[in-house]
Amino acid sequence: MEHVAAQFIDLQYGNVLALLAIGFVGGLVSGFIGSGGAFVLTPAMMSMGVPGVVAVASNLCHKFPKALVGAYQRNKFGQVDVKLGLVMAASATAGVWVGADFQNRIKLDFGEAGSNLYVSLAFVAVLTIVGAFVLRDAVRVYRSGEADAQEKASRLALWVQSVEIPGTMMHFKTANIRVSALFTLPLGFATGVLASTIAVGGFIGVPGMMYVLGAPGLVASATELVIAFVMGFGGTIKYSLHGLVDIRLALILLAGSLFGIQLGAIGTTFVKPFMIKVVMAAIMLIVAVSRGLVVPVYLTELGRLDLAPSTMAWLQMASFAFLVLALCTGSIIIIASMLRGHRSGAITLREPAPD
Amino acid sequence: MENPKPRLLLVASGTVSGALYLLLYLYEREIMAAFTRTDGWFPVLPVLAAFVFSFAHGAFTGYFWEVLGIRALRKK
Repeated sequence: MEHVAAQFIDLQYGNVLALLAIGFVGGLVSGFIGSGGAFVLTPAMMSMGVPGVVAVASNLCHKFPKALVGAYQRNKFGQVDVKLGLVMAASATAGVWVGADFQNRIKLDFGEAGSNLYVSLAFVAVLTIVGAFVLRDAVRVYRSGEADAQEKASRLALWVQSVEIPGTMMHFKTANIRVSALFTLPLGFATGVLASTIAVGGFIGVPGMMYVLGAPGLVASATELVIAFVMGFGGTIKYSLHGLVDIRLALILLAGSLFGIQLGAIGTTFVKPFMIKVVMAAIMLIVAVSRGLVVPVYLTELGRLDLAPSTMAWLQMASFAFLVLALCTGSIIIIASMLRGHRSGAITLREPAPD
Repeated sequence: MENPKPRLLLVASGTVSGALYLLLYLYEREIMAAFTRTDGWFPVLPVLAAFVFSFAHGAFTGYFWEVLGIRALRKK
C-alpha cells in the first residue's frame, strides 16, 4: 500500500490553537445534539493545507473517542439506548458502504465538480426539509405551553409503533419504544448513506429516531453518539490501514472536543427537552444556506453557469463563514439555555418541598 | 450534602493527560512515522492512541467541569 507521509503538514502554533477552539465548539454541539462538528472540522483542516482524505481520516479518528466519552457521560444521565444505537449502527455501516460506492461512481461519471455538486445538493435538500420540520415541531411545542412536558410521539411514530410484524419486533427500554426492526433498518441505512455523503449522519439519524420511531429528543441525540462511535471506529480502521490518519490532528482536536462534549452532555440536563430540536434546526438550516451558496460555483465548474473567479471566491468564503456561524449559533443557544436552565434549576432547588 | 470536589483526581488525571500530550509533542516525528505505517499491526496504533487519550483526557475534562461546579442537574 502507498505510504503517504509526504502529505502531512507541519503544524504551526496558530493551527494548533484553531484546532483546539474548533474542537471545543464541535464537541459542545455533539455532546448536546449527538452530532455536528465534522462539517466545520474537515473544511477547516483542509484550509490549513491538510489533504481532504487525511482531514476526513483524522476527523473520524477524533470522532469515535469523543463519541465514546459523550455516550458514557450521557449514559450516566440515563439518556442512552445502547441497544437502539447498536441496531441503528449495524445498518448504518451498510449505508456507509453503499453511499461511498455511489459517490465514487458519481465522481467517475461527472468528475470532482459533479461530485461536489451532488454533495451540496444533498446537503441543501436534506437539511432544508428535515431542518424546517424539526424547527416547526420545536415552535409548536414552545407555543403549546408544554415545553416542560414529556414529548409526545408524532403520528407517524405512533403508526410505526402500532405495526406488529411477528419475528421482527424489538423493545428498546431507554427509548421506551417497541418497533419492528424493518423500520430501524432503513433508518440506520439512510443515516449511513448521509454520513458517507455529507459526513453528518446525525442530521437524519436523530430526527429519524424522534419522528419515525418516537424516541424522545434527549434519548435520540444521546443514542446518536453510539452510532457515531461505531461508524467513527470502523472508518478510522479503514483509513488507518492506508496510513492516512494524522494522529496529531486527531489528538489535538480531541483535547478541545472532550472539554466541549462533557459540557454539552451536562447541558442536556439543564434545559427543556425541546431545546435539542431548536439547536438542531438552527444548525441544519444555516448549514443548508452555506451549501446552497456554493452550488453556483460547482455549476460554473461544470460549464452550466458563467461566474467571475472573484465571485466564486467570494461565494466559497461566504459558505465557510456560514458553516462557522452554524456552529457558533448552536453553541451560543446551548450556553444561553444552560445558563437559563441553571438559574431556574437553582431557584427550583431552593423552593421548599410541598407538604 | 454535596460531594467534595475531586481536586486530587483532577490534578492526577491532568498530569497523565499532560504527560501524554508532552510525549506527542516531543516524539512527533517518530510517532508520525510509526502511526502511518501500513504493515503488520501498525494500523492499530491510531485506534489505541485514541482510546488511551480519551480515557486519560476524558477523565481530566470530566473532573475539570466538576471542580468548576458545573454538574448535571438531575431532574428525575
